[in-house]
Amino acid sequence: MIPRMLATAVERESTMKRWLTTMCAALLLIGAAAPARAIGPIFDWDPAYFWQAGGTPTNLPAGGILKSVGTISAFGAPLDFLNATLPSIEYTFYVDGLTSLGTSVVGPPATEIYTTFYTGGTIAMYADATPDAVFTPFPPNADVPSTFLNDPPAILTGVFTSLVVTTNNFTAFQVGSIEGSIQWTGGSLIGYLGGPGGVPCPGLFTGGATWNTSPGIGIPGYLFRHDGKIDLQCPVPTQKSTWGRLKSLYR
Amino acid sequence: MRRFVTMVMFAVSAGLVSVPVAHAQVLLFDYVGFDYEDPNPLPAEFGEVGSGYVGLGTVPFLFSPLTSNTTLNEYTYVMSGLTSTGYSTVSTFRIISYSSGTITIYEDAKSGGTTADYGTSPPNGVAPSTFTDGTPILVGTITNFQFVLNTANGTGSFEAVFNVTGGTQLSNFPLNQRMGWTFAGSSGNALNTPAGYAHQIDGQTFLNAPVASRRTTWGRLKAAYR
Repeated sequence: MIPRMLATAVERESTMKRWLTTMCAALLLIGAAAPARAIGPIFDWDPAYFWQAGGTPTNLPAGGILKSVGTISAFGAPLDFLNATLPSIEYTFYVDGLTSLGTSVVGPPATEIYTTFYTGGTIAMYADATPDAVFTPFPPNADVPSTFLNDPPAILTGVFTSLVVTTNNFTAFQVGSIEGSIQWTGGSLIGYLGGPGGVPCPGLFTGGATWNTSPGIGIPGYLFRHDGKIDLQCPVPTQKSTWGRLKSLYR
Repeated sequence: MRRFVTMVMFAVSAGLVSVPVAHAQVLLFDYVGFDYEDPNPLPAEFGEVGSGYVGLGTVPFLFSPLTSNTTLNEYTYVMSGLTSTGYSTVSTFRIISYSSGTITIYEDAKSGGTTADYGTSPPNGVAPSTFTDGTPILVGTITNFQFVLNTANGTGSFEAVFNVTGGTQLSNFPLNQRMGWTFAGSSGNALNTPAGYAHQIDGQTFLNAPVASRRTTWGRLKAAYR
């Protein structure tokens, strides 16, 4: 009796598992068949530079404020109607208010890796019809950040919901990464960033960073050169349905 | 005479060694794309020994001594031939070393050419083939390729020594200006990454400034070592 009961239970479980497997496969297929999303970044910059008073590439003390200025070199969908290569207009951004939570170190002396998480922070992007942005050394100064934000209102504004700086003491060319997430909050072009329900899709702020100080790479007074971009993190489209309809698709 | 030649060689070598550190560097090209592994012995891992690193994407900006016309042409890159030779683990980080490989930039006419297409689960019918069609304007070797990846959040970076060795624009590069380096940030967190690709890549390649030289006479040169 007991073996039979077990067999029934296993059979039911097996049927359920098969159904779940089919459903999962179907969901994956639905995902694969979803409309193509933009593959390229919405913004690419070459370059941006970061600074933090009192910080070094391997130690960004807690409470310090990380800031950055950059010039946008290319736009992608859905902002690909903008042309970043026109000499008559420059697109810039300014990052401010990222507050360091302190740098943690892992690894033996020969391969130490430094990770610094930040909280808070804002980003604002501008279109300037009088191009003048210049990465003058030792910010803040008369040109930085003022020449990067001198044409309000901003085309986009947002707040960072996360940001992490990763550096090390062993890469030959002094290379790491800076990555974070942005929630867009305003600006004249925010309407273009709409996701499902008209809510702006978050931005992924990402790219490589170098603290190489060679002329042509680093600029005195800045900690990092950042070769980065922002991708729009729009969720994969979904469609409301009922369990009945979903089941009927696989009967 | 041998001692003299040795001294001269030593002096020249010493000069050459010090140059990359002291001289300016210039941006040669910027690249954006995705990477994947092929072969991929352990699909659940990245950088396992024996896995091949392949990066491909577009090159939106090219600078002197390269010449380009981004209005008429699409520029793509393919990084290949890199095989993981081992890795070390530091906390959640994996530091991966690779054998030497190459990076090639292709120029493909927008009119009549084939638009680069990543497809999914590379290699596939369109990738890397739609990235390798066109004219290889620049071929460079990549050595000391090292990838640092945080396996906890999928974020990382890589760097390598870059050396111009070929391509139709090789002659644009003076013999004393073919060395440089490349680096990129990588992210496994982008929702727009095509299925089957490991990371999104955004990188730059720099060229060391020309090695300085000065005309002189054998007499002056000898006198300097007497």
